[in-house]
Amino acid sequence: MKFRKILVSVLLAVAMLTSMLSLFSCNKAKVAPEFVMPENGFDTSKKVTITFYHTMGAALREVLDAYIIEFNKLYPNIKIEHKQVGSYDDVRKTISTEITVGDQPNIAYCYPDHVALYNMAKAVQTLDVLIDSDKTVTDALGNETIIGLTQEQKDDFIQGYYEEGREFGDGKMYTLPLSKSTEVLYYNKTFFDEHGIQVPKTWDELEAVCQRIKEIDPDSIPLGYDSEANWFITMCEQLGSDYTTANGDNNFTFNNETNRSFVKRFREWYKKGYVTTQEIHGAYTSSLFTMAESEVGNSYMSIGSSAGASHQRPKKVNGAYPFEVGIATVPQVDANNPKVISQGPSLCIFKKSDPQEVLASWLFIKYLTTKVEFQAQFSMASGYIPVIKSVKDNPIYAEYLNKADGGDFITTLSVKVGLEQENAYYTSPAFNGSSVARDQVGFLIQRCFVASWKDSEVDAKIKAEFDKAVKECNYQIGK
Amino acid sequence: MADNMNVTLQEKDMKKVGATQKVTGVFAKILCYTFLFLIAIIVLFPFYWMIISSLKTLAEYKLSVPTLFPKEIIWHNYVEAFEAANLGTLFKNTVIVGVVSTILSLVITVLSAFAFARLEFKGKNTLFAALLATMMIPGELFTITNYQTVSALDWKDTYTVLIVPFLVSIFYIYLLRQNFMQIPNELYLAAKVDGTSDLKYLWKVMIPLALPTLISITILKMMGAWNSYMWPKLVTNDTNMELITNGLRNAYSDASGDTNFPVQMAAVAIVSAPLFLVFLFLRKYIMKGVSRSGIKG
Amino acid sequence: MVESKHKWKAWLYLAPAIVLLLIFTVWPIFNTVHVAFQEGYNELSLIGGESTKYGFGNFVDVVKYPGFVTALKNTLLLCVLTVPISTILALVIAVCLNSIKPLSRFLQTIYFLPYVTNSIAIGMVFAAMFNIVGSNIGGEAELITTSGIINNVIEFFGGEPVNWINSGSSYWANITVMVVYIVWNALPFKILILLGGLQSVNKQYYDAAKVDGTSRFRVFTKITVPLLSPMLAYVVITGFIGGFKEYSSIVGIFGDDMGHSGNREMDTMVGYIQDNIDRWQGRASAAALILFGIIFIVTMINLYVSKKKTHY
Repeated sequence: MKFRKILVSVLLAVAMLTSMLSLFSCNKAKVAPEFVMPENGFDTSKKVTITFYHTMGAALREVLDAYIIEFNKLYPNIKIEHKQVGSYDDVRKTISTEITVGDQPNIAYCYPDHVALYNMAKAVQTLDVLIDSDKTVTDALGNETIIGLTQEQKDDFIQGYYEEGREFGDGKMYTLPLSKSTEVLYYNKTFFDEHGIQVPKTWDELEAVCQRIKEIDPDSIPLGYDSEANWFITMCEQLGSDYTTANGDNNFTFNNETNRSFVKRFREWYKKGYVTTQEIHGAYTSSLFTMAESEVGNSYMSIGSSAGASHQRPKKVNGAYPFEVGIATVPQVDANNPKVISQGPSLCIFKKSDPQEVLASWLFIKYLTTKVEFQAQFSMASGYIPVIKSVKDNPIYAEYLNKADGGDFITTLSVKVGLEQENAYYTSPAFNGSSVARDQVGFLIQRCFVASWKDSEVDAKIKAEFDKAVKECNYQIGK
Repeated sequence: MADNMNVTLQEKDMKKVGATQKVTGVFAKILCYTFLFLIAIIVLFPFYWMIISSLKTLAEYKLSVPTLFPKEIIWHNYVEAFEAANLGTLFKNTVIVGVVSTILSLVITVLSAFAFARLEFKGKNTLFAALLATMMIPGELFTITNYQTVSALDWKDTYTVLIVPFLVSIFYIYLLRQNFMQIPNELYLAAKVDGTSDLKYLWKVMIPLALPTLISITILKMMGAWNSYMWPKLVTNDTNMELITNGLRNAYSDASGDTNFPVQMAAVAIVSAPLFLVFLFLRKYIMKGVSRSGIKG
Repeated sequence: MVESKHKWKAWLYLAPAIVLLLIFTVWPIFNTVHVAFQEGYNELSLIGGESTKYGFGNFVDVVKYPGFVTALKNTLLLCVLTVPISTILALVIAVCLNSIKPLSRFLQTIYFLPYVTNSIAIGMVFAAMFNIVGSNIGGEAELITTSGIINNVIEFFGGEPVNWINSGSSYWANITVMVVYIVWNALPFKILILLGGLQSVNKQYYDAAKVDGTSRFRVFTKITVPLLSPMLAYVVITGFIGGFKEYSSIVGIFGDDMGHSGNREMDTMVGYIQDNIDRWQGRASAAALILFGIIFIVTMINLYVSKKKTHY
């Protein structure tokens, strides 16, 4: 009797939950269809609201707000609502959850691996049909322009930055760059001049410089390298060795002889005390670089983000900087064919069922990425490198670049160096799991450096670490 | 008279014993105090560290030089932490969410605990055991499904979404049920005989008797609203709907996305301060409430 | 207990709780089970049009993964270490507190403070305290720039600074720090419960012992502990349940990577779930069910043992 009742109630509960389940499965978000250009192009009379997720701090939001007002002078019916969603990771997490219920924004700050993730749900709009569109639109000031990008506008982008949007393995364009940074070599110019040391252009020269510095100041770590992952990826690019591919069954091709041997070489540097990295040190290596020379463990060189230049400047002592900072391109395998990484946010557009929303989103990201004044102001406020070359011709910006020095205007100097190496930017393939590879190679370097192995077993141990990293990558992508 | 004698004799005996134990007693007391103060220092040290970190310059903090006192006291970090976030709205939202969810939660908890403690119905123990079992499940697992549910209900960016999903806490029901069960059943029977309704009995007898537990639930619930972070972040996009922890945490990355740690520590201190104050004032109730749950677990 | 004539009343009182629980607790549990048995379940690719089949694939994925085994080992180890340490420490503190009069309140208040804090924020503070900054620590080209307050103390007493949590630190150093932090975090609740228990213990037992001249230690083991056994059982059971869900304290010290060199060497069960919840909800759900199973079994064992051992 009692058991039957329990059984009945359990069955009832199960039935109820199952019906709920089916209800929800039917409600599963469907991604909006691929955008098709409307016959009449963009309808300027229709009111649309566009949401935009980013990570901008207060200073940058101010610049953005000012240019939204400018943008609205052209398109008064496009309302832009933007929001700082915390860090890049927060943006990725928020949007990937929102996609599951169809609530994603129109535009978002993105890194290539974010786009690859969103694309598991086929949620990101490809831009080719928009970029190539020659339909025209007349703005509120009466100017008639094409919806797409003119050849001039395309050519104006720094090539390496622009091409990043096409690195998804299918040849299609998914993102436009907004503002970028790169890695640069910061060096203690005062110290280098004093001891007659030349700024190293290649890794071999760097090794010699480290050795020299160790002789002068044995209590120092000559070089701090912030990002282990960038180091690995940049080495692959400079050496022409395999890193990852966006296509095929085997995405992770970084486990090869060339890569193992450069890791072994740098491990030796670490063991000699030439170099440390951010993760090993536990903080940005700029903290070592800005230390006084008399302190234990200070650095004379630091390879870090160009956007972090102000952190690489020592604190003023009695109203003057204790030393001058020099900034140069990072060391190369072949100094005549330099390769440097590019990082920093791009913009992507999400598919929406209303093509007018997609068009409005496109017009806005086109505005942000091609408007010279915005790019100039944004760069000056953030220390990021503008993505279009014509910014350099803007008089205000040109004046800003002229001020570049190794002290008060160090940020400007780093932007200037970043702009000068505009032909050296490379991009890596982006796919679902590219960020996993990035993380793993970074950890790999870190682990190989700090581990205490016998000389005889180093090769085997490094090989084992590589094997493990590849295995981990595959597990993370579901293989 | 004889009885009196006896008592004094016993007292004398005890005094003798007491005297022999006195020396060890003093020694034990000293040991006790030393130990307790040592523990107190260990407990307090991290808070001290938080406060001095919040007063340092970013450079001093980043150097990770363990200066025990800031070289230069930067009160401005607190001003910055205040200014960076829209504190008025944040406080308002947090108070609304905290108060409403506490009141509703109390009503639900009291009713359920009453049913479990005083009423007899089929499957009561099974149901209660099942509810307790759900406490063992890691809460992270509910997040995804719940997010889909509230989105389907179109609750995002409302107070509802911040309040409703967490109204029922098995732990509070459990706490209060334990408390209710300690109230002699005879009171309830007498009330029944008098024809007092359940609700009146609940209001007049049980609630006053269980007040310390209810107050501690109130405080725990308020603490929850004050400290909640992941869920509000997920379900609110409108900055006007943010709660205090989210608002304060979002507010200190500079242009390069670098966090200003001293300002963040200042914010953590600001966020923690009201809780600390509430705790100091209502210490007695919180402690009573929490400790009661332990009796006859 | 009263046999209420109106049984529906009980259900009426329970209705709000039950409705909310069905939607926000029971339904997610059900959904979790459903997801756990769909191989390679992944929200995003489902929306992208891929389909899944039912099976045990997720469980196989979880159990075969070496990282999960590490997580399981860490979780168990931390439980086995922190629950007894914090319980014994809390017991000693509670007994000491109970035996003194002046400052007792003041000290109680201090001990309860960690209860009203955010474990991630204070974890960051602990991390700063155990920090050591340098390169090649323990190696030939060793350079130590700065060390945290703990290492300063060690050096003050003539010891060698230890790499507790930074890159290259040993597993046991990490475990030590975690144990210290978790115990710190767990003390307030335990002290409070045990002190409450002590204060409700009848003073007569102690007076009797005093007359007998029983030694303090004997009083402690023969009277205090048995009388406190229900509270001790409660504290141990909740300690184990909490211990199996250990996560945010580790994030506080080691960050989201749950370790210092990307190996997630300090990972826990909940850490594994969190790590997979973004992308591999199938795996996360399967791991959550495994975790639930373990907690369930351990709690049952605990209850069984405490039933046998506690004296009411």
